[in-house]
Amino acid sequence: MVASWPAISSAVAAAAVSLGFNILQDAAQEGLPLNTEAETSRKVTLDVPHSEVVTGTLGRDQRLRMSRDGVMAEFSRYARGRAAVCVTGAGYSEEQLRAIGEELGGRMVQQYMLTKLKNEMAARGMDLVEETVDETQSIRLRVRHWQN
Amino acid sequence: MKQRTYELTISPNGEVEIHVDGFKGKGCLEAIKLFEQMVGETKDVRHTSGFYEPEEDVHLHSERHH
Repeated sequence: MVASWPAISSAVAAAAVSLGFNILQDAAQEGLPLNTEAETSRKVTLDVPHSEVVTGTLGRDQRLRMSRDGVMAEFSRYARGRAAVCVTGAGYSEEQLRAIGEELGGRMVQQYMLTKLKNEMAARGMDLVEETVDETQSIRLRVRHWQN
Repeated sequence: MKQRTYELTISPNGEVEIHVDGFKGKGCLEAIKLFEQMVGETKDVRHTSGFYEPEEDVHLHSERHH
C-alpha cells in the first residue's frame, strides 16, 4: 500500500484536530527546529505503529508540526517508510509525552484508514449508512452492499 | 439481489475489525478477501455460526468504478 503526502498530512491533521492540537503549517514548511523556545523541555521520539501502511514513498524531509498546551509534536518519515512522532514540552514527564505521542500516532493511522476505507468502499458501490465514534474513540461504520 | 451488511470498527491505534453479516457457509471468505484488498493483511478471523451453515452462491463485485 502506498500513500501520498497529501493523504497522510490530511490524516495527521484530522488526528491533531480530534485531540485538540493546532497545526503549525508555517513552521513545518520553513523547516524551523522543533521547540526552539524551551531548551529545558523533555523530548520523546516514537515509532508510529503500523505506519508503514501510510507512509509509502514519502520524501524524508516532509514533516508536519502541531501544538497544544505547551506540547509540540512533529510527524516525519524516516528509513524504510516508517513514520515517527517527536513530542516535546516543558513541564511534562517523559511518560506523559510518550502517551501523547502514542495517542497521536494511533489516531493518525486511524484517520488514514477511515479515509482509505471510505474511498475504497465507495469505489466498490458500497453504501456507508452509519458512522459513529464510541466511548473508546473507536470509529464504527455500518456499510450496506447489494450483490447479485 | 441480496443485501449484505458489514460492520467495521477502526480502533484508536488504526487496527480494523470487520464483522461480516448475512452470509451462509464460506461465502463470507469472499467478503474477507474484498476487505483485505482495501486494508491489507488479515491478522485474525473468527467464524460465527453462519460459517458452518450450508453454502450459498456468492460473488462480490470488487471492480473499481472510475
